[in-house]
Amino acid sequence: MHRSRVVARQELVLLVRDPLPLVLLLAVPLVFIAFLKPAAFLALIVEGYPGTTGAEQAVPGAATTFSLFAVGLVGLSFFREHGWGTWPRLRAAASVSEVFVGKVAPLVAFALLQLGFLFAAGILAFGLRVRGSLGALALFCLPVAIASVALGLLLVGLVRTLPQLNACANLAAAVLAGMGGALMPLRLLPGWVRTVAPASPAYWAMRGFRSVLLDGGGMRALLLPGAVLSAFAALFFVVSLGFFKQRRRLGWG
Amino acid sequence: MTKTMTEAPALQVSGLWKRYGGTAALAGVDLSIAPGEILGLVGPNGAGKTTLISVVAGLLRPDQGTVRVAGVDAVAQPDAVRPLVGLAPQALGLYPTLTVRENLTFFARLAGMAPGDARARAASLGAAFGMAGSLGRRVQTLSAGEHRRIHVACAMAGRPRLLLLDEPTAGVDQAARADLLDAARSAAATGIAICYATHHLGEVEELDGSVAVLHHGRIVASGMVRSLLAAYARPVVELSFAGAPPAVAPGDGGVLQGDTLSIPTDDPGGTIARVVAAAGPDAARLRSVEVLRPGLGAVFAAVTGEPYPREAAPPEAAGAP
Repeated sequence: MHRSRVVARQELVLLVRDPLPLVLLLAVPLVFIAFLKPAAFLALIVEGYPGTTGAEQAVPGAATTFSLFAVGLVGLSFFREHGWGTWPRLRAAASVSEVFVGKVAPLVAFALLQLGFLFAAGILAFGLRVRGSLGALALFCLPVAIASVALGLLLVGLVRTLPQLNACANLAAAVLAGMGGALMPLRLLPGWVRTVAPASPAYWAMRGFRSVLLDGGGMRALLLPGAVLSAFAALFFVVSLGFFKQRRRLGWG
Repeated sequence: MTKTMTEAPALQVSGLWKRYGGTAALAGVDLSIAPGEILGLVGPNGAGKTTLISVVAGLLRPDQGTVRVAGVDAVAQPDAVRPLVGLAPQALGLYPTLTVRENLTFFARLAGMAPGDARARAASLGAAFGMAGSLGRRVQTLSAGEHRRIHVACAMAGRPRLLLLDEPTAGVDQAARADLLDAARSAAATGIAICYATHHLGEVEELDGSVAVLHHGRIVASGMVRSLLAAYARPVVELSFAGAPPAVAPGDGGVLQGDTLSIPTDDPGGTIARVVAAAGPDAARLRSVEVLRPGLGAVFAAVTGEPYPREAAPPEAAGAP
């Protein structure tokens, strides 16, 4: 536990020392919300939600999408250690699980910060109204954040180079967000997309967010999406830990 | 417990095997390093040095055999062994965006030191490696030699019982190299056992500790440097003449090459005197006399039957900051 704490602190220091990616992951979604909101407003009317501002789709959509884009940070966190040659020393000083926990904790914290920031900005600047339980919404952010970070770990386990990671992370974020209804409500998407949508964590994140924001849901409504996201996270963690224990070498290029 | 820890060798490796596919990188290695001992682990590239260090550091799992660090089984109890081992891998491993102090403190903290102790340790290591004035500098602004010093210092940050240095002088100039050798001696003087893996045989001769020669995954010779040199490497007297060397019979298996006569001998002074006496008036044509003292390369050649590859250089340190 001590070593995980030390690794976590180091990870935070490294993130803060080069803050541009964090700033972009917080600021760019705001622009995204501003772009999406008018179309989302019309889409929600078509869906049968009069009296909304569009922020009820645009804000969770941007939060979910950019939470997925943050998986690149997870990958970078590991590739950086390999690129800087610090991975062998880290592994000699701590177990795989300790390094794993130490690296994941600050990234989950950032994912939570990102979601919290975007929902707060949605309420303060984009007219987002929360019809259901605000506490349930806040709590639901935890499985969303953990599932996103776990997806990042899975990608690190699957790829071998940083260019591969960048390509896969961006592609995965765009595809999963799109097929999960984060960019456009599912009802407006083709039938085959609606069929495959539950395979995307974004689908369950949006389902949970929308149930609170549009349908006035609380904890009960979030149980199933929260459970499915937790299952996704567990699956991603287990598979990626298996890859890490194979001690594959990662490289910059 | 304490008694066992102090009496046990800092490193005890027995019957260690590690295979990659069908190739044995380590083929039954036995090795022991006492507290305060510097063991030079030498051998050409591909001999198995880095694999051995990786297994001892817990980065690789051996296929067979045991590794005990200060009496603790490194394979069965890796958590207990981690704080006892300091590793400086061949490739530089530092956080370039952090300062020298932050790098040293991080590795000290990782080894279990409290924050205050870790900062004090960083300061003392900075002074010991001649970097006291650079503790606040970011690593990415350091020179190659300074990188290598801090790289090695980080391995010592946690006050390990066993220090594993893999090609610690790769890519540094003579001054930094001398400083690193001094640092190794100083660390050993405090009781830290050092496994110093290198293909630079001269460095191990300079350290004048013990040596293990690794060849195709096997230890083919080991002992004190001086003992191995005495056993396997005879000095050679080289006498150069103006014109052809005289026909002398030194009785030591001399070899004629151009105008030079080379004679392996255990008694260089006596051999020179005998040759000069036997040469008679031809001794006036003697231009130079040189006594060559073969190093560990000769030991390697004697025990393996192969010349030590002179140009054996380690692969470029990947991922250098």
